[in-house]
Amino acid sequence: MSRTLAIFKREWVAAFDSPVAYVTIGLFVLVQAGLFFFMGYPIGPVPLPSLWAGGQASLIVLFTWLPLLLAFLVPALTMGTWSEERSTGTEELLLTHPVHIREVVLGKFLASWLLVCLLVTLSILPVAWTVSGLGHLDWSTVWCGLAGAFLLGAGYVALAQVVSALSSHQLLAFLMGALVLGMLWVLRLLVDVLPVQLAALVDYACPSTHFLDSAARGVLDLRDAVYFALLVALGLILNALVVEGRRWR
Amino acid sequence: MSSASTADTVEPTAALGAPEQPMIRAAGLVKHYGSVRAVQDVSLEVGRGEIVGFLGPNGAGKSTTMRMLTGYLHPDAGEVQIAGHPMESEGRQARAALGYLPESTPLYSDMRVDRYLQFVGELRGLSRRARADALERVFEATDLAGYTQRKIGTLSKGYRQRVGLAQALISDPEVLILDEPTSGLDPAEIVRVRDRIVALAETKTILLSTHVLPEVEEVCRRVIILAGGRIVADGSLLDLSAGREECLLVTLVAPEAQAQVACSEIQGVMTCSVSGRGNNGRLRLQLEVSERFDVAERLSALAHDRCWPLLELRHDVPTLERVFLDCTRAGARGEGI
Repeated sequence: MSRTLAIFKREWVAAFDSPVAYVTIGLFVLVQAGLFFFMGYPIGPVPLPSLWAGGQASLIVLFTWLPLLLAFLVPALTMGTWSEERSTGTEELLLTHPVHIREVVLGKFLASWLLVCLLVTLSILPVAWTVSGLGHLDWSTVWCGLAGAFLLGAGYVALAQVVSALSSHQLLAFLMGALVLGMLWVLRLLVDVLPVQLAALVDYACPSTHFLDSAARGVLDLRDAVYFALLVALGLILNALVVEGRRWR
Repeated sequence: MSSASTADTVEPTAALGAPEQPMIRAAGLVKHYGSVRAVQDVSLEVGRGEIVGFLGPNGAGKSTTMRMLTGYLHPDAGEVQIAGHPMESEGRQARAALGYLPESTPLYSDMRVDRYLQFVGELRGLSRRARADALERVFEATDLAGYTQRKIGTLSKGYRQRVGLAQALISDPEVLILDEPTSGLDPAEIVRVRDRIVALAETKTILLSTHVLPEVEEVCRRVIILAGGRIVADGSLLDLSAGREECLLVTLVAPEAQAQVACSEIQGVMTCSVSGRGNNGRLRLQLEVSERFDVAERLSALAHDRCWPLLELRHDVPTLERVFLDCTRAGARGEGI
């Protein structure tokens, strides 16, 4: 565990050593607030109005944007996790220390996940405080949505890190990661045009379903937590297999 | 090819009548990259306290072999043991027993020197107190004391190399595997790194890969030469030089054709080739001979009889460079030495 903690600390400090984290967090907070207050959510069969247009003290618009925005933001934060290690050669030195690959994978995952949690919190809480000043805000829905967003972020981070492990170019890792997570988001939009049984399967497979249909609406469902736990486990195992597999090539 | 024990190498000490196990042991290592066989059937043993030069031309498979020895790459076949721990089944213990400096010294440029070494200490499972002591020790050993707060990315190549060496030494491992540690350094820094390696060799087992042959001659008592993915030579420099044809270099003033024929006919001369031509009919010949003193005597008699002024006659001592070139050429032809 101490080695996982060492990896976690290194990744966490490294994230704030480059301007990428600050710029990404700043942009994300501003874009989220702009969409929430002024644009609403115009995608899908039931568009949602902005705060000023709808006049309702609810964060549902903020939460509804989250799966799409995180599909770009998470790959931006995790693109270098493994690809940079490969391109600079530090992976070789790292893996010849007495560490297990699973300790490295877990340490890197925890650091990126905590960063995403921080970012989501920074983008949601200030908006929530503003809205609560304007009307009656159901804070239990906010905490529930925040917890769901953390779980969604965990699933996204686990998948994006697999993609980062597959590439030695950061930009490619970002594009591939955004493509994979974006596809998962788009799948949910296609549910209406798919045959019923396939639609149910696709809908269940989409991470956003397990956030938007429950936590984002103030409902904590254990099944969603299990889904994300499995998704994270799958991502971490795949990540370890990809890195381990490279040592056999 | 197994390691050749030689008079010059430090023999493993015997404990209770049984020979001590080697600190580095590789048996039948094979590695392919796609259809290319990078390493084929490499076996070697390095005993406690030995410092072994690991040589080979570019693409010979040195770095791949070192990556397998350090556990970064899995071999397609064969096995590695470090300090008695098999890399496959006891990887953590095996890697804990070795310090590794890869080629090009890949380090985290964004980290400060002290924080990076703290990080490596944590990865190596050192306690807080042990890390503090280890940092003090490696800062002193690598002359990094004034640079501990600097970001690695701002350091010169020489200082980066020192940090690389410091991370390899942080847990005071018994085995060091150093892949071209002096590559790209200025002459003063090369001497410093070399001196440091010599000092380390008093207490550690070292496998040193380098292209700088004088460095090997100065530092190592045993060399292993790799060519075409195979070990083509393994032994002390003295052993590797032994049995090789001796060479005489002759400079005289004589007609080229006549001199070459006459020298070729001297008893004991196996080959005679012109290696240079100078002004005033000066001719430089290189003779491969079976016994240098007899041939030298016959040669000077020949020059005297023919009235060819003999300007220089000297013995060309087999250098590591010559041994290396002979071995790697033979290796390229698929012959072992």
